[in-house]
Amino acid sequence: QALPPAGGGGRGSGSSILVSPRQKGNPVLACLKSVPWEYSDIPADYGLGSTTCALFLSLKYHRLHPEYIYTRIRNLQGRYNLRVLLTLVDVPNHEDSLRELSKTSLINGVTVVLAWSAAEAARYLELYKAYEHAGFAAIRGQQAEGYAERLVGFVTAPRNINKADAVALVSSFGSLRRAVNATPDQISAVSGWGEKKVRAWCKAVEEPFRVRK
Amino acid sequence: MSAAAGAAAAAGTSQPPVQPVKLSLPLVYQQKLFEELRAEDELVVLARGLGLMRLVTNLLHSYDAAGGNLIVVVGADDRENAWIGEALAEHAAISMTPRARGLTLVNTESASVGAREKLYAAGGIFSITSRILVVDMLTGMLNPESVTGMIVLHADRVTATSLEAFILRIYRQKNKAGFLKAFSDNPDPLAAGFSPLAATLRNLFLRKVSLWPRFHVHVAQSLEGKKKAEVVELEVPMTESMRAIQNAVMECVEVSIQELKKGNPGLDMEGWNLDSALLKSFDVMVRRQLEPNWHRVSWKTKQIVGDLTVLRGMLRSVLALDAVSFLQQLDTIHAAHAPAPGSARQTQSPWLFLDAAETIFSEAKRRVYASAQRPGPDASIDALRPVLEEQPKWAVLADVLDEIDRDLLLEPPARDDSNGTILIMCSDADTCRQLRDYLQTMHVKPRVENKVEEFYDPERDRPSAAFMMRRKLRSYLRWKREFAQVSAQLFAENQRAVSGAVDPRLGRRGPPPSKRRRVRGGGAVGAGAGPGRLENGSIAQYFEKPGEVAELMAEVQITAGEDKEEEEGLEAVRQRDGAAADPLEDMDDYYRLYDMQDLVVIHPYEGDQDEHVLEEVRPRYIIMYEPDAAFIRRVEVYRSSHNDRNVRVYFLYYGGSVEEQRYLSAVRREKDAFTKLIKERASMALTLAADAHGAADDPQEAFLRTLNTRIAGGGRLAAPAATAQPPRVVVDVREFRSPLPSLLHGRGLVVVPCMLTVGDYVLSPTVCVERKSVGDLISSFKDGRLYAQCEAMFQHYRHPALLIEFDQNKSFTLEPFADLSGSAGSVSAAHAGAADLQGKLVLLTLAFPKLRILWSSSPYESAEIFERLKSLEGEPDPVAAARAGLDGDEAEGAPSQRPGGAAPPAFNPVPQDMLANVPGVTPNNMASIALEAENIKEVANMTEDELGPLVGREAARKICGFFAKDLLEDG
Repeated sequence: QALPPAGGGGRGSGSSILVSPRQKGNPVLACLKSVPWEYSDIPADYGLGSTTCALFLSLKYHRLHPEYIYTRIRNLQGRYNLRVLLTLVDVPNHEDSLRELSKTSLINGVTVVLAWSAAEAARYLELYKAYEHAGFAAIRGQQAEGYAERLVGFVTAPRNINKADAVALVSSFGSLRRAVNATPDQISAVSGWGEKKVRAWCKAVEEPFRVRK
Repeated sequence: MSAAAGAAAAAGTSQPPVQPVKLSLPLVYQQKLFEELRAEDELVVLARGLGLMRLVTNLLHSYDAAGGNLIVVVGADDRENAWIGEALAEHAAISMTPRARGLTLVNTESASVGAREKLYAAGGIFSITSRILVVDMLTGMLNPESVTGMIVLHADRVTATSLEAFILRIYRQKNKAGFLKAFSDNPDPLAAGFSPLAATLRNLFLRKVSLWPRFHVHVAQSLEGKKKAEVVELEVPMTESMRAIQNAVMECVEVSIQELKKGNPGLDMEGWNLDSALLKSFDVMVRRQLEPNWHRVSWKTKQIVGDLTVLRGMLRSVLALDAVSFLQQLDTIHAAHAPAPGSARQTQSPWLFLDAAETIFSEAKRRVYASAQRPGPDASIDALRPVLEEQPKWAVLADVLDEIDRDLLLEPPARDDSNGTILIMCSDADTCRQLRDYLQTMHVKPRVENKVEEFYDPERDRPSAAFMMRRKLRSYLRWKREFAQVSAQLFAENQRAVSGAVDPRLGRRGPPPSKRRRVRGGGAVGAGAGPGRLENGSIAQYFEKPGEVAELMAEVQITAGEDKEEEEGLEAVRQRDGAAADPLEDMDDYYRLYDMQDLVVIHPYEGDQDEHVLEEVRPRYIIMYEPDAAFIRRVEVYRSSHNDRNVRVYFLYYGGSVEEQRYLSAVRREKDAFTKLIKERASMALTLAADAHGAADDPQEAFLRTLNTRIAGGGRLAAPAATAQPPRVVVDVREFRSPLPSLLHGRGLVVVPCMLTVGDYVLSPTVCVERKSVGDLISSFKDGRLYAQCEAMFQHYRHPALLIEFDQNKSFTLEPFADLSGSAGSVSAAHAGAADLQGKLVLLTLAFPKLRILWSSSPYESAEIFERLKSLEGEPDPVAAARAGLDGDEAEGAPSQRPGGAAPPAFNPVPQDMLANVPGVTPNNMASIALEAENIKEVANMTEDELGPLVGREAARKICGFFAKDLLEDG
C-alpha cells in the first residue's frame, strides 16, 4: 500500500504551506523559515500538500482540554490521505496523554508525530511540504560510501571489533579476501587482535548465513 | 521421569542426603556452604577465586546422583557448561552412582523442538540458553511444575528486565515447591546503586543471601592454617621511557576526563578521576552516566569516551607488550584516529593535541630506535640505529628461573605430590607467546663472534632478548612499509582534504626514488625528533624516509652468520626442548621441557579454569608474571586442599605502575563491596512476598484485573466468555532479547512465542507492531529494512504500527537528531538521502500514510500502550500470525505452523550485517546470495563468473572488487 507521491492538482498543491488562521501566534510559525507559508481557510491547521495535512497539538493544552483534538479530527471528515497529528511534548509527565493519543491514532486514523520544540515542529512541517513529491529511495537502502567506510563497516560487524582493529587487519593482510581466508593463528598475530576478537571474527566469517533447522 | 517423581525428589531435599555421594570439597568453608545450600534456597556471593564452580558442580552432582530430578542451570556460559559437564561425568564415575545422567546442553544448534520435548521428559540436569528456556516454558514444552529446581549462575547479571528474571517469574508462578539457588562471584555490581541487594533478591525471588568474602571467618581459617603457600614478592622497576610513556598517557587520560567534565557540566562526575580511570569498569561507569543523555551529548564527548578506552588500552600494553609491538600498536591507533574528510580541529581527539601525546609517540619510538650522529662530514644527516629496549620483567623472569634451577640442584625436592613443574601465569595469550619467544631465544646471541660457545663466559651467557627483539624489529620495518601504503590508500583522501594541496607527509612518503633527493632536503622533521604536526595542529603520523629505513634495516639485517645461527639457534633450542610434548596445543598452552625433568608451563589467567590448571599441572613453583588477586586465592585454596603439595609463588609486578595500582584497588574494591553488602543485609527489610512486578500470584485474579470496566462494565470480554481467555499477544521469538515480552507477561498478558516473518508483536487480528529502538530505527532506515518491513506488514494486516521505543535511561526526545540549521539545502527534496532522522520519518509516513506511529519512552511504557491497544479488539491467532509473510509452500511446512515452534531465526544476524556492507549487495539480492553461498568465506572466494548469475554482472564485479582490492599492490 505504499502510495506513490501524489502529483499536483487541488488545494494546497502550491509551493507554500497553507496555515489556518487559527494558528496565529503559534511560535512554530516563527520557526518556519526555509519554506514559504500563507494563511488559508482550511479545516486542518496546516495544509502540507494535496493529500497531506497536519493538526497541531500542544500537550499542555491537551491536558486542559482533552476533548478539543477529537473535535478537530472529526472536522477533518477523513479528507486527507495522510493526517499528521503534530504533537509538541511540552510537559514532563507525558506518559498518560501519549498513551491515549496512541490509542486515538489507531481508532481515528491519524499519524502521531512528536516534536520536542517549536523549531523541531517547524522542521517537520517544512519537510512534509518539501518532500511532497520526493521519491522514497532515501529510505529504501542506499549505497554511497567509500571503500574505507565500507571496509570498516564490514570488519566491525561482529561485536568487540573496532575501527583500529579493522585497519590493523587489512594492513597486515593487504586484501580483505586474504583476511577472510586467514587462519586464527595468523590473525592473532595482528597487533590488537586478542583471543576474543579472533574468535568473533572467525565465527562471523564461517558462520552459515542460514540457520540450519 | 514423571512430574510426580520430580516433585517427590524435590520434597526429598529437606532430608539430609542419604545417597553415598562422594564430594570433592576438602575445606571447611566449602563443606559448610554446601550444607547450607542443601538446606535452603539462597543467593551465594563468593569472593572470586574461592572455587564457586567447584561448589556448583558438587551440588549438582548430589542431585544428579539421586536421580529422577529435572534441574535447570540458568545463565551458564560455554566454558562453564563444559566444566559442569566434565565434572558431573567425573563425579558420577568416582562415586559410581548409576542414576546420574550428567549434563544435557540445550542451545540453538543442538536440539529441534521435538527432540527437546523428549529430553525434558527424560529428566536430568539441563543447561539451557535463556532465550530458548523462556520460550519453552511459555509454550509449555517444559512444564515449570515438573522442574525440581533451578540453579542460577552469574546472579549479579539478573536485572528486573532481564530474561533470567522473566524465567524465574514463570517458574515461581507455577512452581512453589522447587528449589532455587543463585550464585555470583562478582560482588561489585551487587553493591552499586540504591539498595541493590534487595532489588537483586527480589528479581531472583529469594529471601536469603549468604556472603563469603575472603575475610569470612571460615574462609580465613581454612586458608590460613599451617599449609600456607610460600610467596616471594618481586618489585620490578620500570625503565625511564616506560615511566615517561605511562605518565604521558595518564596526562592524556586526565585531560580527556577534564574535557568530558567541561563538556557535560550537568552530570555527576564525582567518581571520574584518574584513580578510577584505571579500573576495568571505568568505561561502563562513564557510559552509564552519559547514557540518559547519550543523544544529547556532543560528538566530541562521544569521541572522548572512545579515546579513554584507547588510552586505557595503551596503559596496559606499555607494560605488557614489548617495545616493538607497542610501537606498532601506536602506529595503528594513530592511523585509525586520523581525521575524517574535511574535519576541522574540533572533530579530532583532544589528546592528540597535547605535548604528552608527542611524548608517547617519540618515547615509544626511542625505545625501538634512535638517531645517531654520524661522524664525518655528513653529520647533518641523521642515521638510525636500533635501541631495542627490553622489558625489565624479562630479566627478572630469567633470574627467577635460574634461581629455581639452582634450588632444584642444590636441595633435592622434598618428597611430595607435586610435579617439579614451573607454572608461569600471565594475563593473556599474547603475553604467553611473548614469554615463550623470550625463553626460547634468550640464550641465542645475535652476533657472529659469539658463535664460539665452547668458552664459558658468564657475561655473555646472560639471558637477553636481543635476538628476539631484532627479529621483531625486522618484521616491524617490513610491516611499516606495507602499512604506510595501506594507510595511504585508506586515509590519504582524508588527509588531503584536511591539509589542502600541499601535504608534507605525502611527499615524504612517496616512493618514487627520483624524488628522494628533493624530499630529503625538504624534510623539515628529522628522524628522532618528535612527530610533526599537521596543519591543524594534530600530530602527523611519522613515516621514515626510505633511505633511513634502509639504513636501519641494514643495521639490524641478519648478519651473514646470524642467519645461519638463527636457524641453528632455534634448532638447538628445539633440541634442548626434547620432544615437544605439546598435548594441549589447541588450548593455546605452551609446554616446554626446560631441564630434562622440569616442565615450564606458560598459561594465561582464565578465571575459574585456572583451578583446573593447578590441579592438572601440580606445580612446585608458580611465577605470577602479572598480579591477579583471584589467582592468589586459587593458589591458597589449592595449597590448603592438598596436604602434600608444596608451592612457592613468585609474584612479579612493576613498582609504581598502573598495574600495581590496578591490582591494589581491585582488591580494595572487592572488600568494600562485601562490606557494603554485609551492611545492607543487616538492615534489609524481609517482606519479599510480593511479586517483582505486582503481577498477582493467582492468574484468575490477574485476568480479572485486566478487564476494562469502562467498556460495558467489563462485560465485553466476559460476554463471549465461552472463549474466555486471558488477553494474549503473539511475540516473535527474536524479540525475547528485549525486555518487553517479560514486561507484558508481568502485566498479566499471555505471551505466545512464535516465529514471525512479519512484524514483532501481533496484538489483534488486525494490529501488528514493529518495534524499533532509536538505534535500530536509524540503522533500519539506512539499509532500507524498515521500508521492506512496513511493506510486508501492510500486505497482511489492516493496522500496522511502528513502535519507536526509547531506552528507560535515555532521554525521551528525537530533537538532537534534527538538522535545525534552517538552511534551504536541508529541506530540498533532492538531498532527501542525506536527511536527518526527521526527514526519514517524514518520508516513511508519506510512503505509508496508514502506518501508525506509537511513541514510547521506555519498555514499561510500551507494555502499558500495548495493554491499552489490546482493549480495542479481539485476540490474535498465533497460527495465522506465524503463517503471514511466508510463501505458499513454505506456509504448508511444518515448523512455522506450530505456534510454539520456536524455530530458530532463519538467518544469522552477524554475517548478514557484514554482507550488507559489501558494495553491490542490496537487500534484494542478499537473500539469493545467502541461499547460494554457505558463509562469508565462500562469498569472498567466489569469482565474478560465479557471482554473476546470482546478483547480476555489475553487482558481481563490485563484490569481487571489494574483497580482492589489494592495498599493498595497487595504487
